[in-house]
Amino acid sequence: MAQRPLDLGKSGPEGQDITSRLHEICESLGFEHACYASNTPINGELIGFATYPEDWREHYLAKGYHLRDPTLTRAIHAVAPVDWSRLRDTQGYAEVFRDAADFAIPETGLSVPIRGAFGDRGVLTLARTCSPAEWASQKRAIMQQVQLLASQLHDDVLRSGQVLQRIRQPNLSSREKEVLQWVAAGKSQQDIADILNLSNRTVEVHLRSAREKLGALNTAQAVGRAIGLRMIYPI
Amino acid sequence: MILIVDALNRHEYADILNDMYRLRARVFGDRLGWDVDIVDGMERDSFDDLDPAYIIGLDEEGHVISCVRALQTLGPHMLSDVFSDILDGEPPLRSATIWEATRFCVDTERLGKGRGTGTIAHATCELNIGALEYAIESGITDVIAVVDPRMDRVLRMSGNGAYDYLGKTVAMGKVHALAGLLDCTEERLARVREFAAITGPVLVDEAEFRARRARQAAKAAQTAQAQAAMAAQADAAMAEYFIRQIDAASSPEELAAVLSLADTVLGPVRGAGPAGQDGPRAHPHMPSVAHRN
Repeated sequence: MAQRPLDLGKSGPEGQDITSRLHEICESLGFEHACYASNTPINGELIGFATYPEDWREHYLAKGYHLRDPTLTRAIHAVAPVDWSRLRDTQGYAEVFRDAADFAIPETGLSVPIRGAFGDRGVLTLARTCSPAEWASQKRAIMQQVQLLASQLHDDVLRSGQVLQRIRQPNLSSREKEVLQWVAAGKSQQDIADILNLSNRTVEVHLRSAREKLGALNTAQAVGRAIGLRMIYPI
Repeated sequence: MILIVDALNRHEYADILNDMYRLRARVFGDRLGWDVDIVDGMERDSFDDLDPAYIIGLDEEGHVISCVRALQTLGPHMLSDVFSDILDGEPPLRSATIWEATRFCVDTERLGKGRGTGTIAHATCELNIGALEYAIESGITDVIAVVDPRMDRVLRMSGNGAYDYLGKTVAMGKVHALAGLLDCTEERLARVREFAAITGPVLVDEAEFRARRARQAAKAAQTAQAQAAMAAQADAAMAEYFIRQIDAASSPEELAAVLSLADTVLGPVRGAGPAGQDGPRAHPHMPSVAHRN
């Protein structure tokens, strides 16, 4: 997986929606915490949402556990749901769960891997505090349901554009956007150079880069796409 | 016994997976004549790179005697791709609780006919019991299995027949292939167990299995080490003997004869001779002999 940050529920209204879905899943199945992560098939970027308390989430991200936590990074490659007891000897497990205990995050849990038709993968993790005997008897009863919930969640995340948006949202610099905005306002390349106190060539460089990032054949198309993606305002 | 290997534990079982690929090469390449890629006697395809789960049957000596591969139907799988002929242009099933089973085979060369341990029927049933238990445990309701008509018949005869078929039977190599639906239920599991008279657990306890493999590997390493030590000792004694003979040689002819004999027994000193098995062993000793010469 790529070394990208996991948002874990801080992704705006849509992200909040997924997080509230996770809360609902927890409530209906009797779990304390749920986390969902998926990687995009194109750039391997990882996005995620979790019901974790703020302090654990911050600690988790600060330590980079989303890149090492085997309940996400390993379990996402399984075919069947993975009981966390299976991951105990896996690299990263001891470290993550030693800290998790300090934040009262339970160690009894399940990772449900999901695969999509386009090579996309996701994983839903569910954690709760309970005795091993209780866990063993209840796990089987919910196994079917968690898989359906996990795949619905995965589809919804894909459909909501959380993943596709990240693939399609070209990463334009503020200067590139600024230049495009002035083009949209009808300014020539030299005008823009004068307005922004840049050389004509620098403006050209930013335009060329913006066209490349937007996959546009010419500046007009780049402006159209940037407006479509709401990166600049229509004027 | 049945071992489940997936992306989480496959690094532990590279040898078993290679044996499985060899079995698949013999069955699907040689016997069924399917258009499969075989490299170094092993059959692998692009779906093996998609982290499937393998359900693998092992005999008492640890030989791979049966296997089947499971993939989620939500993700890329064979019926959505290379076996699309079977579905006659229709899109494949996609469900979180349906798996696809492919590369289902047993080792008909190693196994005998009839019933009981060591037979094709027994190995097939044991594999099916393991696969059904794994699927049920994982919350899977149904499996769509791509099989050849012979395997389909074997399944039907052992109380494990498909409850329905999807698409059509298509020609594939020397035989045909078809897609059958199998429910993953306690009823089916009970039928197969009853047919094969298998009552005990079939799935391997992995901790125990790994410990046993570690013990076996340690023992094998020990034996190899002991053998190497004995061989080295014998070599040293032999070299010692020749050194004494060279020292005792009283004429050029005698010396030549001793050296020639040493060459024959310990291998030639110089790299000129053929690199026989004795070559590398002889070298540590022989330069000292040559030096005295």
